[in-house]
Amino acid sequence: MNKAAEVVIIGGGISGCSIAYNLAKKGVKDIIVVEKSFLASGSTGRCGAGIRMQWGTEQNCRLSKLSVEFFENANEELGYDRDIEFNQGGYLIVAGTEEENEQFKKNVELQNKLGIPSVYLTPKEAKEIIPHMDETKILGATFCEKDGHLNPFHTTEAYAKAAKRLGVEFLTFTEVTGIDTKCGRVIGVRTNKGYISTPIVVNAAGGYAKRIGEMAGIDIPVYAQRHQILVTEPVEPMQKPMYMGFSLNIYIQQTPHGSFIMGRGDDSEPTDLRITSSWQFLEEMAKTCCELLPPLRNLNIVRQWAGLYTMTEDAQPIYGAVEELEGFYLAVGFSGHGFMLAPATGLLMAETILGEETTIDISNLDIGRFKRNELVFESSVV
Amino acid sequence: MLIKTGVPDIEDIMEITPPKRRREKGPVAVIECFQRIPCNPCYTACRFGAIKEFEDINDRPKIDYDKCTGCGLCLTVCPGLAIFIVDESYSEKEALVKIPYEFLPLPEEGSFVIGLNREGKPVCRAQVKKVQKMKNKTNIVTLVVPKERSMDVRSFSMKDYDDENTIICRCEGITLGEVRKLIQEGYRTVDEIKRISRAGMGPCQGRTCRQLIMQEIAKFTGQKMEDMLMPTFRPPTKPIKLGIIAGGESDE
Repeated sequence: MNKAAEVVIIGGGISGCSIAYNLAKKGVKDIIVVEKSFLASGSTGRCGAGIRMQWGTEQNCRLSKLSVEFFENANEELGYDRDIEFNQGGYLIVAGTEEENEQFKKNVELQNKLGIPSVYLTPKEAKEIIPHMDETKILGATFCEKDGHLNPFHTTEAYAKAAKRLGVEFLTFTEVTGIDTKCGRVIGVRTNKGYISTPIVVNAAGGYAKRIGEMAGIDIPVYAQRHQILVTEPVEPMQKPMYMGFSLNIYIQQTPHGSFIMGRGDDSEPTDLRITSSWQFLEEMAKTCCELLPPLRNLNIVRQWAGLYTMTEDAQPIYGAVEELEGFYLAVGFSGHGFMLAPATGLLMAETILGEETTIDISNLDIGRFKRNELVFESSVV
Repeated sequence: MLIKTGVPDIEDIMEITPPKRRREKGPVAVIECFQRIPCNPCYTACRFGAIKEFEDINDRPKIDYDKCTGCGLCLTVCPGLAIFIVDESYSEKEALVKIPYEFLPLPEEGSFVIGLNREGKPVCRAQVKKVQKMKNKTNIVTLVVPKERSMDVRSFSMKDYDDENTIICRCEGITLGEVRKLIQEGYRTVDEIKRISRAGMGPCQGRTCRQLIMQEIAKFTGQKMEDMLMPTFRPPTKPIKLGIIAGGESDE
């Protein structure tokens, strides 16, 4: 197989598929997406699948609002024959410390100013929304009814199918082995199934983004970190919104299917490409869950798994071009929220690649910010 | 082969087949336990000392066919549903096969069903002689089968096997027809089909459907099952309460 393309996108996760769709929609021909396994087999298919607009920076609020508005109409927009299962049951974000509680009040102000319908709640009010919580463990909460849950497999499929109809070619079970450059610009991509000559390469490789960067001689300041999740048996609907705490270190949501999905962060997790499951996670997760939401102790765990967060120093993505290498673009380092930002990622990356003015300014999220020491911190991350 | 497909080969079966003379004499246990795992309820259940004491709990059971009375106690306690009782003394041309059965609904006594072999393929017609409901929900269904099928029939179907409405994933209620449609659409691995359809995501974690889906993919693509990509197995192997893991509670 030897091919030529206008754009090669590395990574068949939600970001790669969304970028491919948006580029094709803008009329770009000959787009190839290269994926080493099947679509959504990496971080996308392993993510917690929560979708929220409650963020602490204006930029993240805008990016996520654009994304949520897209998801609300995505079945029609993408012409999907199944359902992406967007369920807006809300997000209840709980404060575990005074500092957090104060920050949340400011966050709500910011969010409301940007048209995000969040509200601040006392522990008692929060308990009315999730009656099985132990409200003595929290100091306050914020709630946004438009946040929710989305099926990552179907959403990726929806993007990919729409992209295919617009002529995008997907090479699954195809692994990138090298990136060829000449005189400071990209000229082609080597894969285990053949060569693709192309002037533009988009790195949307999730946990493998750093490795792809190395192939192009670019050091991307990201690292992969294992995050684990468990899921319970399905039960009758009892918890509408996501329950999430940053300092309490938990996110837990009942999916439309009835099962509870939950995860937590752990700084001692390995920072390589490991995606095995650990016993420690099961134990810590069960303890956290039973302490904060005691009645859930009777639920049976049926499965646990792991995936990779691709972390940056400021827990924000890296978007855009790379100064040292013409034709090499990055959509990496989502730090655990790449799935919910995918509609924004796809649109803004397509605009960037085509040299258009971007709908939301993301120039501060370029790779250069690390050298300039202009990090953009976001505190609302698990 | 057994590891990948779950189906023992002829050598595996020869190893666990009681001698013909013993089978003709009356009921006898056939222990189709092919993997070393830490499990010994068959030994502790046997009141006749027919199943020998395990030196190592991982050992596979060894049975003394002369001591075995075919009482079936071991059959009901085997968590792997790997023990059957075969009785070739039943009639001139027919044998009885007792099968551990955990599906619902249970068949009617006297009704006719389709006898399935270890691969789940239909091999004969069989009549339900007896249905014994057990407290631990591992019920026993006794089938009358042609004598030459006594070492072949290991399950049964109350429906035509190839019915598109046959449930492939019991936990999520995914039918053969739905699985076939996805394969036709281009999904070629169990993991993709699992993610799109939810087959294999339920409490049993794909114990049954994983292999059935692989069979369907193999049938459609002409691949051999042993050459196919294995689906992912994830912990815990058995559903367990959050409260037990968190501490302060014990299993029943």
